[in-house]
Amino acid sequence: MDVFTRAFYIITIVLTLITLFRDKKKTFEAMKKSKRMMGSMMGEIVGIIFSIGLLLTFIPPQMIKTALGSTNTLLSTIVGALAGSITLIPAFVAFPLVGSFVDAGASIVPAVAFLTTLTMVGVVTIPLEKKEFGLKFTVARNILSFVAAMIIAVTMGVLL
Amino acid sequence: MIQMIKKNKLPFLVILLYAVLFVVAPEKGSQSASNSLYYLKEMIMIMPVVFLLTVVIEAWIPKEVIMKRFGDKSGFLGSIFSLILGSVSAGPIYAAFPICKMLLSKGASIKNVVIIISAWAVIKVPMLISEAKFLSPEFMVTRWVLTVIAIFIMANIMNIFVKREDVMSVDNAKEKNQLFIKEEYCIGCGICAKILPNYYEIRDKKAIIKGEMNLEESDLILKSVEDCPTKAIVYNFEVGESDVLKN
Repeated sequence: MDVFTRAFYIITIVLTLITLFRDKKKTFEAMKKSKRMMGSMMGEIVGIIFSIGLLLTFIPPQMIKTALGSTNTLLSTIVGALAGSITLIPAFVAFPLVGSFVDAGASIVPAVAFLTTLTMVGVVTIPLEKKEFGLKFTVARNILSFVAAMIIAVTMGVLL
Repeated sequence: MIQMIKKNKLPFLVILLYAVLFVVAPEKGSQSASNSLYYLKEMIMIMPVVFLLTVVIEAWIPKEVIMKRFGDKSGFLGSIFSLILGSVSAGPIYAAFPICKMLLSKGASIKNVVIIISAWAVIKVPMLISEAKFLSPEFMVTRWVLTVIAIFIMANIMNIFVKREDVMSVDNAKEKNQLFIKEEYCIGCGICAKILPNYYEIRDKKAIIKGEMNLEESDLILKSVEDCPTKAIVYNFEVGESDVLKN
């Protein structure tokens, strides 16, 4: 276990103990809720993780490096952002997936674009959003989020 | 069984792929499985932390108090509260829609609503651990800072382009004094059925309205609307919009 994970373990365990001490009932209620949320994600988490194994076996790292490496960043970033916009998977499971691509040599710029549009732009949820907030709000928010994701991605590429 | 597969398409598809692979090319199959093991191990290691952090946030942060603070005149502090509310809330982005709609009708500004939805989508405190673990802590921090800046800029642009009327006029066509449940947001928690057992009932994990409206119980109806955790219950008041404006 690395230092980072260990630090997080210590912090959260201390916080949980304090919470338990302050209000037992509330803590258990929160645990039930959190358990249900995580439980409903379990299938997807395991599914994604085992697809990573398949991807890494059949797509050689060399290919990932050429396709998503730093040679044609602009195109791969646009593809990454588009892919993120139409997919609807929890960000929580997207991190190991994206991490495996970066480990294999993909550039971080398309990776960031994918991660950001994955959560902020939702083509699948547009009908729901439109129903609540109207067409103008929905279209403006999704387009702005897409542009923001591209800018964040390029900036990350410059900074890191 | 079929329903179970339908609900868990991805894991079943992956199991199927592995089964085929182990028959056709066993060495590729075991290679894939061992590739996955590293990520599985890392995931299992951070799961307890993510779980406990979600619990701590849920038990500690008084969301109702935060929700009272983002009107049009709430200024910068209101934006900060919006950012916090979005960041500490659990669930996918569409779970934010009915809650934001409710906040809008209570006077929240467009700007703050955009901040809540965006932060709700991108900044999940427990998820930051997953990001730091599988990418890197520097990656996580840099993306977080840039995203927060982007959210504030976006919210200000939206505030100029989208007017309150654009958003509020959406479901005015509904009849007055009508109670209904937005099924797509109901999580079947049963709180409403506990408050008003003769009105609400949970059927197939969704709340439904069974009783006729009785105006004498309007206090309890309001309570059920307020207490619904996903704000899936909608109640159109008898008072017309002009009355609301006068008050």
